[in-house]
Amino acid sequence: MIKERKSLGKIFLNGVITENPTFRLVLGACPTLAVTTSAVNGIGMGAAATFVLVGSNVVVSMLRKFIPDNVRIPAFIVIICTFVTMVQLFMQAYLPSLYESLGIFIPLIVVNCIILARAEAFASKNPVLASAVDGLGMGVGFTLALTLIGMIRELIGSGTLFGLNVMGAGYEPMLLFVLASGGFLTFGILLGVINAITAYFQRDKHSEGGRA
Amino acid sequence: MSIRLSSAPHIRTGASTQSLMLNVVIALMPCVAAGVYLFEMNALAVLCMSTGTAVLMEYLWQKLMKIPVRVGDCSALVTGIILGLTLPPTLPWWATMVASAFAIIIVKQLFGGIGDNFLNPALTARAVLLASWPAHMTTFVDISREHVADAVSMATPLSGENAVEYTWMQLFQGAIPGSIGETCKAAILVGLAYLLITKTISWRIPVITMLSAFVSAFILGMDPVESVLTGGILFGAVFMATDYTTSPMNASAQYAYSVGIGFLTMLIRRFGAYPEGVTYAILLMNILTPLLDKYLPNKIYGHGKKKEANQA
Amino acid sequence: MKFTFKRGVHLSYGGKSATSVLPVREYVTDYVKIPMSMHIGAPSEPCVKKGDLVKIGQVIATPVGPLGLPVHASVSGEVTAVEKIPYLMKDPVTVVSIKNDFKEEWVDLNPLGSVESVDPSMIIPAIRDAGICGMGGASFPTHVKLSLKPNQKCDVIIVNGAECETHLTADHRLMLEYPRRIVDGLRAAMRALNVENGVIAIEDNKPDAIEAMKRAASGRDGVSVCELRTKYPQGGEKQLIEAVTKKQVPSGGLPIDIGVIVLNVGTCAAIADAIIDGMPLIKRITTITGCVRHPANLMLPVGTIVEDIIGFLGGFPEEPGKITFGGAMTGLCIPNMQIPMMKSTNGIVVFNEREAMSMEEGPCIRCAKCVHACPIGLNPYRIKVEADADRLDAAKKLNVMDCMLCGCCSYVCPSRRWLSASFKIVKEKLIRQAKGGQKA
Repeated sequence: MIKERKSLGKIFLNGVITENPTFRLVLGACPTLAVTTSAVNGIGMGAAATFVLVGSNVVVSMLRKFIPDNVRIPAFIVIICTFVTMVQLFMQAYLPSLYESLGIFIPLIVVNCIILARAEAFASKNPVLASAVDGLGMGVGFTLALTLIGMIRELIGSGTLFGLNVMGAGYEPMLLFVLASGGFLTFGILLGVINAITAYFQRDKHSEGGRA
Repeated sequence: MSIRLSSAPHIRTGASTQSLMLNVVIALMPCVAAGVYLFEMNALAVLCMSTGTAVLMEYLWQKLMKIPVRVGDCSALVTGIILGLTLPPTLPWWATMVASAFAIIIVKQLFGGIGDNFLNPALTARAVLLASWPAHMTTFVDISREHVADAVSMATPLSGENAVEYTWMQLFQGAIPGSIGETCKAAILVGLAYLLITKTISWRIPVITMLSAFVSAFILGMDPVESVLTGGILFGAVFMATDYTTSPMNASAQYAYSVGIGFLTMLIRRFGAYPEGVTYAILLMNILTPLLDKYLPNKIYGHGKKKEANQA
Repeated sequence: MKFTFKRGVHLSYGGKSATSVLPVREYVTDYVKIPMSMHIGAPSEPCVKKGDLVKIGQVIATPVGPLGLPVHASVSGEVTAVEKIPYLMKDPVTVVSIKNDFKEEWVDLNPLGSVESVDPSMIIPAIRDAGICGMGGASFPTHVKLSLKPNQKCDVIIVNGAECETHLTADHRLMLEYPRRIVDGLRAAMRALNVENGVIAIEDNKPDAIEAMKRAASGRDGVSVCELRTKYPQGGEKQLIEAVTKKQVPSGGLPIDIGVIVLNVGTCAAIADAIIDGMPLIKRITTITGCVRHPANLMLPVGTIVEDIIGFLGGFPEEPGKITFGGAMTGLCIPNMQIPMMKSTNGIVVFNEREAMSMEEGPCIRCAKCVHACPIGLNPYRIKVEADADRLDAAKKLNVMDCMLCGCCSYVCPSRRWLSASFKIVKEKLIRQAKGGQKA
């Protein structure tokens, strides 16, 4: 599959909006549901994933001519592992509380399908700069999505926003939203809303016969 | 003169979706009356709030989404009343509202409205409340006192060692702590009789569920009579497990479904972290419903052992 | 002990009381239109032309094909037209119109004598020559039903006097007024096939008919009367067999596969007429009820036009909404009043405007009432989903071909869904598909 060369801005926006990994591609749903109990967790998880994405995309892109096709997946994983280990050690050292709350999902970034998918689908076929921008775009898109879900869940489930109490003293938080089922509910409803919005805006485009 | 053409049959039964739902509403009235008698104005407030919200939400959603407004079929009314009856009388009004709206919009309408929801709306809303505000959902008033106003919060007869002992008669009449509609077994049985006489539901699901609960309690080493008379198993078997949309349709699947509910309830009571398991038992079996219908089909006339070769 | 089958429905409305006590009256019209395809199988070929004078009982059309039957003139007079007219819901059919001259001229009949003494080998040809087909509605040629293949053996002949449909009382009156004829016809069929057992099955809402048939059957070899519980569709062939013999007809098979033949009471009486009097099938009892001024059971010459019958009975008391041949559960709507009744028309029911209103289909609420009503054991709600999406193969997998269109599912549906009506369309499409496949 040969992709036409796009401008870097387009590549970036592609990751944030058009092919948003969470809401359009529905990739990496596991950390999406598991860690978004608060907005801060969402940002932390998103940032960690963004760092790994950019790093692994750059390295994979640099090495794309040297990695034999047959062993490319193990090679990608090794590269991704390297960056995940870096993130993990960094977080453990400087952000211990975030590290605690994200827990197992930091090492699990290794198997996050967004990262492997970008390495396979984009970085291994594109030059370094474009790959870096793609990683950044996807990472930002992922972070935004996680933060949005985290904010909603935190607001309803704990009555706070980024740790600040915003709902007033009388508010009794709806615990369901910080439980797993609340994650599914929020994710599902947001998916539906975003699909409805895109369908609304793409109505005219579709009538021209173009397929997204 | 013009005469019409149409396909047979040319007559239909008098029963309609609306009349069936109204039958359920009538069958629920003894429970409502008993609940209001036992728990006084608190119960009435919870019931009004849950029913009103359910009907209003259904209407608003259908208006907003520009789909046919079917509030007239009374199914939202039934959901609202059933939900109210499964709640403790002391539940704050806002929690009741949230639960009712959740039942109608998220569980029912988002999945396609009447006939398409895969979980019982009222029960799912109750499970949401249990997960969201467990403290409100598990404190009950002790109405063996003189007045409800003097009542103190306490546990249901199900919750463990510190529970008060009640006689079977007390359990049957319902003067015990519990949800609004579940405590008075006599009222539930009157409702069941009405549903059976009007052929609104078949006997299979309620009767088999109770039998299964009884036998399961015995097998698991609990007092079978007390197990059946406490908690919400009777209310669940009569009004929740029999929900048309979320229960199986083939007779054999209905048997399996009912046995499953009775057994799971007792299993959760005996080994689970929650004192009561009816909600989760019914929801689990709701999820299994399509599978049960698929793998436990009806016997079809003329599809015996032989002659099968002829078909192929 | 009363016999019955599994599932089915108890109809809350019978509509029979208006006519069940009325004796059969004769009505001879002055103009008949005799359809050439009153039976399943190829239409008969007219052998008279415009201007011919015919006598009562004269053959006016000859059989075509293996399932063919001759057609006889039901009145005497002049043939005024041989033409095609629109008919029921199917394609147009050829009709022979005869203007009655009321001279009552008969052709020479050929009686064979008593059913107990006639040569058994003469019986089936006599039935064919009399043009007898099933008079309960399906109109399958009776002589074909009674012609067994060498490997087939019939153990019992069941006479269907259940009359489970709403409104109809024609069979009921026949059993009350001509019980001997029915038993004679059954005996003739039993002798023709050398069958030991004949059972006359009647629903228990007709105790007087049961009594009359028991009296007529006493002293006749191997004939007994069986009381059935009143439930719809007790008179469906498969249900009747299940109720009486406890055996089930294999899917896609015929009753003869399990050694059973079912004949309608009217068919039996026609057989007796053919043997004893040599009379062809030119008259039948029909119930005309519903929204007519004087409901009645009439003995009508085949081919009488609906408008004439209604006029004879005083017309409509109020604006009619629809008119069906047959009862309310399975009856076919007629497109206009110029339609003639035929050999298998056991009833003409007129519905008023209010009754004819079609109801809006609501969403399925999965109440399972259709599942518990289906006498076959199908899942109508699932078949309906496939039918609405026009997924024929999926519907076939759900055994839609076993559906016999009794209408129980539609009757009980609280959402007023058109279940059996859509299955009829699916079945027709599947049959067409199968035929197309054979040709290609």
